[in-house]
This record gives sequence, structure tokens and C-alpha cells, in this order.
Amino acid sequence: VLHTTRPLHTTQQSLAPVPPLPEKGGEVRHGLIPEEFFQFLYPKTGVTGPYMLGTGLVLYLLSKEIYVVNYETVAAACILSVIIYGVKKFGADVAAFADKLNEVTTKLQFDFAPPTCCPLLCVQNNIAMLLETNYRERLLTVYNEVKKRLDYQVAMQNLKRQKEQDHMIQWVEKNVIQSITPQQQKESIAKCILDLKALSKSAHAAV
Amino acid sequence: MNLSFFDQFASPSLLGIPLVLISLTFPALLLVSPGNRWINSRFSTIQLWLVNLITKQLMVPLNKKGHKWALILTSLMVFLLLTNLLGLLPYTFTPTTQLSMSLALAFPLWLATVLTGLRNQPSISLAHLLPEGTPVLLIPALILIETTSLLIRPIALGVRLAANLTAGHLLIQLISTATVALSSTMPAVSVLTFLILLLLTLLEVAVAMIQAYVFVLLLSLYLQENI
Repeated sequence: VLHTTRPLHTTQQSLAPVPPLPEKGGEVRHGLIPEEFFQFLYPKTGVTGPYMLGTGLVLYLLSKEIYVVNYETVAAACILSVIIYGVKKFGADVAAFADKLNEVTTKLQFDFAPPTCCPLLCVQNNIAMLLETNYRERLLTVYNEVKKRLDYQVAMQNLKRQKEQDHMIQWVEKNVIQSITPQQQKESIAKCILDLKALSKSAHAAV
Repeated sequence: MNLSFFDQFASPSLLGIPLVLISLTFPALLLVSPGNRWINSRFSTIQLWLVNLITKQLMVPLNKKGHKWALILTSLMVFLLLTNLLGLLPYTFTPTTQLSMSLALAFPLWLATVLTGLRNQPSISLAHLLPEGTPVLLIPALILIETTSLLIRPIALGVRLAANLTAGHLLIQLISTATVALSSTMPAVSVLTFLILLLLTLLEVAVAMIQAYVFVLLLSLYLQENI
């Protein structure tokens, strides 16, 4: 049954270790815009590119009155300044607090790592690897066997064609030789003698 | 986009499609589920800590039977906190400003507490209608007053939440309008108004959190009496 469901197995079969979380989150500039955006624009517009884009966009929206300055703008300025002040002042403390909440588990993480806490997972992993190796070996054997059979067929066809070609050539030659009648033979011999005489005359003359 | 004074309280819709459901369920997208990791991310840790704090705070006064309400009370608290705080951002719609929503939350939960009390311990919950040690002559009047107080609880709960938030939003709106209007004629006064607005915003942030807490706390108190 395993071989029929094999194409559905898209990920690796190992159960541990779980891939680790990255140490730090994505790099962000001004707390909002990912660094990748700046890198994306750098080749074409340099360092000031994204800022020019931002300024231009804001001025465009304002000047064309796509964004109308109304009371919400002032309220937005207010709440955003409160949020930014809060984040700047208390951000590091909150992060330190979160780390402190996690510190016990961080210290214990190697005591409870999978090899010590569940050797069964390692055994299962090894068995899975052995099974996979075995499966791949058998797959290779199958491939080679099939290739051998197909090679045989190809060789057979080549041989057959070669034999046909040889036979045809022989047959053509035989027929040509047979078709030379005695009359033709005498005529060709007489012609050859005449040619030889002519050649000897000219050779005689050369000497 | 010309806004009138009450546009922010209108149920949001885009080309005739009502968006109120999205505005109600969006806050849930901001919460992370703690992954099956040994050490979780900072955000997840803090969220878990907050939820634990809220649940502990609410459940300590309740007896064992009341702990069945832990899930609904905590989730209600988180929902109200998030919707109230998100409503302070510009151009957002706060569903809790709608009386329909506050009453829809308050009424069934209050009724559930009352019915639980009347079903499981009817004499004790009826006894709450008469405080201890009242003079005999006052008893009829006091019973009537206490009954009225009991019946007005859901309305009070709902209206308290809606009115506080609506008033806050309206004040922010009006003072911002004043700031904008004064900026052309008397800029110095406009700056002063802006400072007032800053203080008001801080107050509104506090009010948003407090109102959510008060709503859930009162519900847990009503539950305490009846369970």
C-alpha cells in the first residue's frame, strides 16, 4: 500500500527536530516598512528613493484632494503620537518582560530536548531513514532492469535493420553481376583492348 | 471625503455590501494561537499572560460552578478590549458604540445569570432583593426598589458601554474639528486645543479599557450573586 500513497508524501518523513524559529523578526525601518522594500528600490533610486516616493505620494494625495484634511486627520495625528510615544517608551520593557516570562522555559529547553525526553522519536526517525534507503535501492534496481529490457529491444531492432541492409546490398550486387550477358562481356573486353591500344600508342609516343 | 459628525457611527458598508460582520470578526485576526513550540514568540507569551491575568482576576471570587463561565467572560473581555481600542484609530468603526450591540451582549448574559440563580437556588437569589438589617417599615419599598434595580441592570450595562464610547468618540471628533477650524484664524488657540485633544485621547484609551473591564466585572458580580 505504501507505494501507492508515496506520491502524496510531499514533505520529509522526519518527526524531529522541528525547524527552529528565527532569532529575530524581519528587519523593519521606522517600525512599519520592511527593509526589503528599501533594498528593492535601492538599485534604481538609491538611498533616498523610498522617501521620495513617500513624500510624493503624500503630496499627490493632498494636492489633488484625494485625501481631504478634516477632523480625522487631527485625531489621527493625536492617536498616532500617543501610540508612537507608548511604543518608544515602553517597548523595550515589554520585550524584557516577555523574555522574563519565558526565561524558565529557555533554561530548561535543553533538558527537555527530544533525544532526552523522547528517544522513541529518534528510533522512529532512524527506521524511517532505513526504510527510505531500502525503497530507493529497490527503485534503482527496477529502473536498471527496465532499462536492460528496453536496451535489448533497441539492439534487436538495430540488428534487424543492419541485416536487411546487408542482404539488400548483396542481392543488388548479385543481380547486377548476373545481368552482365556474354555479349556485353565480349564488347566490354574489346573496348578495353581498344582503349589499351590507344593508351599504348600515346604512351609509345610519349616515350 | 466629506464627513459629517455622525458618519463614524453609521454601520459601515462598501457599495451596498454591509461590512459590519468584518468589523466584528476582524479583531480576532489580531490574536495568535500559541504554537506547539517549546518557547513561544514574545507576542504569544504576552497574550497568554494577559489572558491568564484576566481569567484569574475574574474567577477568583467565583465558586467552582461559576468557573464554567470562564471562557465566555474572558473572550468577552478580550473582544471588548480589542474593539474599543481599535475604534480609537482614525477612520475606524467601533461596533460597541452601537446600542444594538451592547444590549445584545448585556441582555442575554444578565438574563442567564438571573435564570441560573432562580433555577438552582431560588430563595437565595430572591433574598438578594432585600439587604440585611433593614427596618421593617421600609421592606415593601425596598423590595420594589431592589426589583427595579435588578431589572434595570441589563439596560445599564449596555447603555453604559455604548454611551461612554460614543461620548468619547464624539468629543474627539468635536475637538479635532475645533482644532482644524481654529488653525486658520487663531493658530495659538488651535495648538492649545490640540493639547487638550492629546489629553482626551489618553483618557479615551483608558476609558476603552476600563469600560470593557467594568462590563465583564459587573457580569461576574451578577453571576456571583446567583450561582
